[in-house]
Amino acid sequence: MPPIAQTRTLPARAAPIVPVSRRAGVFAALLALTAVMMALNLRIGSISYSVDQLLGALLDPAGKSDVAYIVWNIRLPRTIAAALGGAFLAVSGLLLQVYFRNPIVGPFILGISSGSTVMVSLVMLTSIGMGFSGYAPYLNTIASCLGAYGVTALIVAIAARVRGGATLLIIGLMMGYLCGAATSILTALAEKEAIKGFVLWQMGSFSGFKWIEVWIMLVLGGLILGGAYLMSKPLNALLLGEDYAASMGVDIRRFRVSILLLASSLAGLVTAVAGPVAFIGLAVPHMARLSLGTSDNRVLLPGAALAGALIASLCDLIARMWLSPVELPLSAITAFFGAPVVICLLLKRGRPS
Amino acid sequence: MNRSILQSAGLAIGYGRPVLSGIDLDFGPGQFIALLGPNGAGKTTLLRTLSRHIRPLAGEIRLLGQDLNAIAALDLARIVSVCLTDNARPPLLSVGEFVALGRYPHTGFMGRLSARDAEVVGESLDAVAAGGLAGRLVEQLSDGERQKAILARALAQEPRLMLLDEPTAHLDLKHRVEVLGILRALCRAKGLTVLASLHDVDIAAKIADGVLLVGDGRVCGQGLPEAVLTSEKVASLYGFAAADFDGRLGGIEFRGDGRAGKAFVIAGRGTGATLFRLLSKKGWSIETGVFDEGDLDAFVAAALGAKSHVHRPGESADDTLAAALTALSACDMVIDGGGAGDEADALRARAARRGLPLLGLAGARAPTAACASVAELSAAIDRIDRIRGRPQWAA
Repeated sequence: MPPIAQTRTLPARAAPIVPVSRRAGVFAALLALTAVMMALNLRIGSISYSVDQLLGALLDPAGKSDVAYIVWNIRLPRTIAAALGGAFLAVSGLLLQVYFRNPIVGPFILGISSGSTVMVSLVMLTSIGMGFSGYAPYLNTIASCLGAYGVTALIVAIAARVRGGATLLIIGLMMGYLCGAATSILTALAEKEAIKGFVLWQMGSFSGFKWIEVWIMLVLGGLILGGAYLMSKPLNALLLGEDYAASMGVDIRRFRVSILLLASSLAGLVTAVAGPVAFIGLAVPHMARLSLGTSDNRVLLPGAALAGALIASLCDLIARMWLSPVELPLSAITAFFGAPVVICLLLKRGRPS
Repeated sequence: MNRSILQSAGLAIGYGRPVLSGIDLDFGPGQFIALLGPNGAGKTTLLRTLSRHIRPLAGEIRLLGQDLNAIAALDLARIVSVCLTDNARPPLLSVGEFVALGRYPHTGFMGRLSARDAEVVGESLDAVAAGGLAGRLVEQLSDGERQKAILARALAQEPRLMLLDEPTAHLDLKHRVEVLGILRALCRAKGLTVLASLHDVDIAAKIADGVLLVGDGRVCGQGLPEAVLTSEKVASLYGFAAADFDGRLGGIEFRGDGRAGKAFVIAGRGTGATLFRLLSKKGWSIETGVFDEGDLDAFVAAALGAKSHVHRPGESADDTLAAALTALSACDMVIDGGGAGDEADALRARAARRGLPLLGLAGARAPTAACASVAELSAAIDRIDRIRGRPQWAA
């Protein structure tokens, strides 16, 4: 049905560019593709299973077969973690892009993931973690989130004193370098056994997720995503900048802290287990914006979450299967997706209008 | 009943250090107030203080009789809306969605638009003659169109008071006139109060119900533009040296430096006004006459710093003419505005007798060199300039 007919009536004057029917189509496609991608992630691997085998194993969690063991202990946690991780990073990036009114930011490029890395390396490489061994699965998450908050606070403090989107990028890069330096010093001082696991983690991967870690992500992250969605109205107001938002009745100080807390918590949650994953937080919100044709966060937040789940699942599949049996670092694959997006955005911005 | 929209008493504003102090305001409903002052005088700071973006250093502000600080954020947003100089260009947002954001303080938790909200959005777009823009992307609008969208968003908030920071900056004359006309019509139609910082004194004088002049850390004047915008006040506020604002003409006139020489313009009944400006731009000092007191030419001449030979009632007409003839004899050039009358004829005769260059437009009575157009006249004046040894553009 042509959308022109509905734009003429008065209530439709406030309507978006892309008709609602197309949005529904995009959402349906994202959902279907994500489901397919997750199914592929379960089925394909160093050993591929038939659909029957897979279904049989899924329906029988306590099964004694190899299939059931591999699906339930390796592939399912990894598949869920990849989807969740992608969704969280995408939403984190979207929140940061709205906050800074800058399309070229994300948790990785601003150095927030690197902040998490430093704190996690403190836990993984030194004996600091020993004192808290009772909190083991939570310790990485707590450390990671703290690191994310620290860098976010620094970035915000500096960003208030500089103008220009590209400057923010450079500050983020410098944060990344500083955190990288701190991490490498810790690595140099660490014991050999601790380093191997750490280096693997640092390259970024959704492998080796334990169920408890998946549950932490699912519960905490789910709460945060819900919180972010409930803030879509003030987030939309923020599209016009803080001054306009404040003039429309947004309690800007409290709101600012909330967004940053949510965005860095999401990044921290993912980084704690999957390591720093590049570019998903930056590139996916753009894919969602373009395919849904809107900046309305009530549509974009779920859209970005779904697209993030899809892209992360796809990247994980490529990382595992491209040069199988060698597993490629996840960040290498995501960078192939994300870096061109950044360059395109910079070119678009630099083009004289 | 308190009919005041915005009041302030003893207000001092600034960032740490006061930029403006002793601000006492009282704006009623339906008023269009122009905020005038040189750059850096504190116009934006005042607007931001009144919209509660920054806190005042001293004094109090009352909005609809309530203390500004005591009003809840959402209630405030239903009373005051703003247009900022901040260049808001959100990507992938239709003008309709953009304007709908103005409904923020009226919508529910998730910001869903009711039928009434959508209606107000449509009305706001129509009010700024931007109904056709609803489906366009904000990022693709021209400066003028975007300014209209920004105004429509502020209107959609259904405020009682709109605070506008340079709503006409970057706009061409057409859009400038259009936007200000829209604002004034809204004041009349909806009883909306508008406080807008403007740069054009002459436009402000013609459109505003009231003006607020700020400069040198204080309010230099407020009230009716007709009373406040005097030549001296405007000149001192902006530090004019070579220009003058004339309240009666409602415009700014630029004085010549007089270095090109002295010209006498035979004028009267408005025949001289454009000739004065032409000569003034070319650097001539001007004497003119003879006309009656209150002639348009007398006002323009005064604004340009020209000396007029004016015939006042009760004075001898002969004395005035004699003075004018003496002055003409001492000039380097005579321009004929083409007016009729015995005095004009006498002046022409004197110019001819003295052998002074006499220029005028075709149709004027017997000038030495009649020019077909103003362009030709301008060229003729330049020729005389060169003959007199002062090339116009050469160093």
